[in-house]
Amino acid sequence: MRAVRLLLFVVGAAATAYGGWLLLPQFDTALPWLIGGPVLHDVLVAPLVGLVGLVLGRLVTNRLRRAWITAGLLASATLLLIAVPLLWRPPSAPANPGLPDRDYPLGLTVGLAVLWAAIVIVLVAATTVDRRVASRRTDSQ
Amino acid sequence: MIRRLRIPAPEDFTAPSHSPQVTARLGLWLGVAFGLCFATGVLSHYIQHPPGWFTWPTRPVSLYRITQGVHVLSGVAAIPLLLAKLWSVYPRLFVRPPVRQPIRLSAHALERISVLVLVCAAFFELVTGLFNVAQSYPWGFFFPTAHYAVAWLVAGAILLHVAVKLPIARAALSTPLRRRRAVPGADDPNSSERRAFLRTSAGVAGIAVLATAGVTVPWLRRVSPLAWRSASGPQGVPINRTAAAARITVPPDWRLEIVWPGGRETLSLAELVALPHRTAELPIACVEGWSVSANWTGVPVVELLRWAGAPTGRPVRITSLETDGLYAASTLPAAHARDPLTLLALRINGEQLSPDHGYPCRLIAPSRPGVLQTKWVARLEVLR
Repeated sequence: MRAVRLLLFVVGAAATAYGGWLLLPQFDTALPWLIGGPVLHDVLVAPLVGLVGLVLGRLVTNRLRRAWITAGLLASATLLLIAVPLLWRPPSAPANPGLPDRDYPLGLTVGLAVLWAAIVIVLVAATTVDRRVASRRTDSQ
Repeated sequence: MIRRLRIPAPEDFTAPSHSPQVTARLGLWLGVAFGLCFATGVLSHYIQHPPGWFTWPTRPVSLYRITQGVHVLSGVAAIPLLLAKLWSVYPRLFVRPPVRQPIRLSAHALERISVLVLVCAAFFELVTGLFNVAQSYPWGFFFPTAHYAVAWLVAGAILLHVAVKLPIARAALSTPLRRRRAVPGADDPNSSERRAFLRTSAGVAGIAVLATAGVTVPWLRRVSPLAWRSASGPQGVPINRTAAAARITVPPDWRLEIVWPGGRETLSLAELVALPHRTAELPIACVEGWSVSANWTGVPVVELLRWAGAPTGRPVRITSLETDGLYAASTLPAAHARDPLTLLALRINGEQLSPDHGYPCRLIAPSRPGVLQTKWVARLEVLR
């Protein structure tokens, strides 16, 4: 294990140094885009996720229901993130007549609608099954 | 009860999603996604800037379509996995440095720096890659070189991170998620929440892939709502660069020029049309991950060289009428130049090439990035 870790360390340090050397000529313009991700995540995204989680924990007490709603929220957030460059095209992008060639807002709306419809169906089905199991238990007693 | 606001400590985070068992598994999955993304990305870089030792096969004809599809889709899958992984280790951000122990403090600082490099570089790659597939460049750097350089930062920082975390990760991975217990009964709630978090992360990664895979997987075209490119366009194939954008005017006396060491030949469009043709189904596979197949008809480059009396089996430089721009010329490696499916295409899906598709003729070769399929060809030069 020691040898493996040492090897990983040496190769990792070499690859990092190579990447840094390759990036050097563009380092100044790339820096804001390098730092931006972790700063936005640690200061804004993660606390927000924690807050939503706390609120959701108070509002929805059923564990199964909470798990599916959490999954729906995380999937929606991911789809929204992926859609950002398709929905928001800053003017600095060079004009390209070939793109965009699809209706992205419509696609995103339909995708989110399908996702939440699926979650509602799952939750309704799960609740129905739960009720039946519960009523069978009371019947047999 | 009002508690005073303070910076949280790692112990304040009690959710099961922060357990090392979850972190290590997410790390493993993310490692696979980033590993695939890095390997296919380096391949794509080498195909476009081949070092002397590098060769790339011409079969299967969709090979580049597959590797570049894997590149963009593994990157898309990495987005929710990275966020889940960061959520899992978020409490570690608040670990207080061991200020009174200089040796432990320096180790702590080095680890933090390596993790910072990893997170910066990972976000950079995913964000710039995502903007590139939408062909949007809201930054000052040149995307291909910066994306390639930072890929090495990600790869190196991941290896460093694994080197540091290997003992913890191994222990966590060998601990089963579902504890076997002597007493039957209700499941341990923490264990089931850990599994739920992992299932959700994997499921969301799957949804993200499904939502975008239509750019390259034909039967998903109608399913993927966020596929950035449709399969439609003039003559059935999308266009990245139009003739107007490339400022192309085809001179009325256009002649194709073939040059080789010690010889030169030219031919008019009529003469080119009169040569024996071949039709092949080949994909245009873009570096942005989208790909579409079409039926191309034209003169095989190897036959054209034979007709001209030029040597074959050597690399061929293809130059466009386009005077500037990065992709005004490309070099066919010897393997592609001698492949009978490498065409100087005159027709697409049974119609004459439109100006935007490269009229009067364009290169189409198997298993190559779309940017190297030079349009508006003016000159073939057989290299030594």
